[in-house]
Amino acid sequence: MIDIVGLIASNLIWILAIVIGGTLISISVHFIPVGGAPAAMAQATGIGTGTVMLAAGAGIAGIIAAGAVMAVNQDLWVVIGAAAVGAAVMLAATMIVATWIYAYGVGVMPVSAKVKYDPITKYRQDLYVSQGTEGHGIPTVAYVSATIGGLLGGLGAGLAYYALMKVSTLPVTNLNLVAVVSTFTIGFFFINSVIPSYNIVGTIEGFHDPKFKKWPKAAIASFLASIPLGILAVVAVGSLAAVGGL
Amino acid sequence: MEPLISMGVLALIGAAATIAGASEDLESDVGSQSNANSQVQLAPQMGYVHRIYNKAIAGEPVSNALMCTIGATGALVLIKHFGFSPLFALVIGSLIAAMVHGSYSVTAIMGREASQARFKQPIYLDLIRSHTPVIMAFAFLTTFSVMIVSYLMVYSLMHPFPFVLLCFLWGVVVGSVGSATGDVHLGAERQFQATEFGAGLNASQSGNIVRKGESGLRNGIDNLWFCSKFGGPMTGVSFGMVVFLGTWILVVFDPAEGNLEGWLSNILGLVIVIVLGIWNWHIEKETREKYGPYKEDKGEEVSA
Repeated sequence: MIDIVGLIASNLIWILAIVIGGTLISISVHFIPVGGAPAAMAQATGIGTGTVMLAAGAGIAGIIAAGAVMAVNQDLWVVIGAAAVGAAVMLAATMIVATWIYAYGVGVMPVSAKVKYDPITKYRQDLYVSQGTEGHGIPTVAYVSATIGGLLGGLGAGLAYYALMKVSTLPVTNLNLVAVVSTFTIGFFFINSVIPSYNIVGTIEGFHDPKFKKWPKAAIASFLASIPLGILAVVAVGSLAAVGGL
Repeated sequence: MEPLISMGVLALIGAAATIAGASEDLESDVGSQSNANSQVQLAPQMGYVHRIYNKAIAGEPVSNALMCTIGATGALVLIKHFGFSPLFALVIGSLIAAMVHGSYSVTAIMGREASQARFKQPIYLDLIRSHTPVIMAFAFLTTFSVMIVSYLMVYSLMHPFPFVLLCFLWGVVVGSVGSATGDVHLGAERQFQATEFGAGLNASQSGNIVRKGESGLRNGIDNLWFCSKFGGPMTGVSFGMVVFLGTWILVVFDPAEGNLEGWLSNILGLVIVIVLGIWNWHIEKETREKYGPYKEDKGEEVSA
């Protein structure tokens, strides 16, 4: 018989880490400049794909990096650092290539329609927005915002992954443990990137976008949603060793 | 593993990832999927009946993840249970995935076009016959390349994730990258070549996609021809960079050797992000100077 209460009580610190991870993921999604379908038509500023898929793509790149590091080095900061950097590199590589296509394939410059001057470069924005669009491409402010989002999202995903790996007494290279934990972390990432998409409603440019101010609502919702998720995950992963690692 | 051998494996992984990215984008161009397909879907509703393949089984990340997972599961069963050689099993796995993808493509276009009968959009059977094998061929290439990436990572670089799971994950990432980069070339440029070059799509032009080709009516293969010149290869470069750079920093500074190496690899990753950011800013500056503003500053005119 598995002692569920005992399992939860002895892993409270890891449940807390998962909840913090979920909240970080939720906040991070607001930073990522998501242009959705309109961005693919150079009709809106940001990266041209949906909120959840872009955030998940970055988060997954982070989880793959965290998994590779966790197998050989169990230092918390190194693992979550690798996840954060993995996600940021994925977003950076995507954004630079998207900028090539916008600049040389479509012939538009990166510009924001939400602010008159770019807060970082101080470049004038409104004159460079082509007619009938809400901006296009990835201006410097959106790139910086995406990098912060990638780092935060990767940090959250890495934290959740690390916490769950530590819950089990099985070795970190146990294939079943790795499979269950990484699958859970991805699901966890999806849930916490769907919650902020109700704030984002299609497109957001980053921290300079007025929609960004709504982030506390999503952060609270994700915090609450992550509590039962964290408990369930800890019980599931913690019981793995009791059932012989599957 | 010896650093030199790791680098060799990494080069192979990077090459396979580049092919995966390019074929993923071209597959979504010929079949029209993801973001740019919103215009293909919208066109008949605005009165522009077209001859473009309209599949959009799901968003690209999910669709590719499905393909790669099916292929990887098939391949793994053949390797573990039937003792097939890995390369042969990966080919058969990809073939299974391509066939499943083909069947989804046919049901998707049939369903999508049939639902638009009220807008007088016909279902072109010859279009389905000519395009589906091309879609399947690109799906085969994508699945095979993603599986090569995952196989080398699991069995050569000793990544701890199970092979099938890693294929699923890279499937999501390749779709995510393809939909964020290559789709722009199709959506913003190819579909609206009739509008002036050097501007985003005016919202009032939505749905007014180019429907006439160089010869006859334009179809998905015409779009493929155009996008294979820039959008497709660039998507390949992008996914290649994601896979290669993400793994390279861990090979150069192996975290297995200690925490210092772990931190150095993270710092190297950050340096890459910053360098790409400076490049992005440089392109922004260059294009602003070259292309110039679209509007005049009325405030300055008044003051002058």
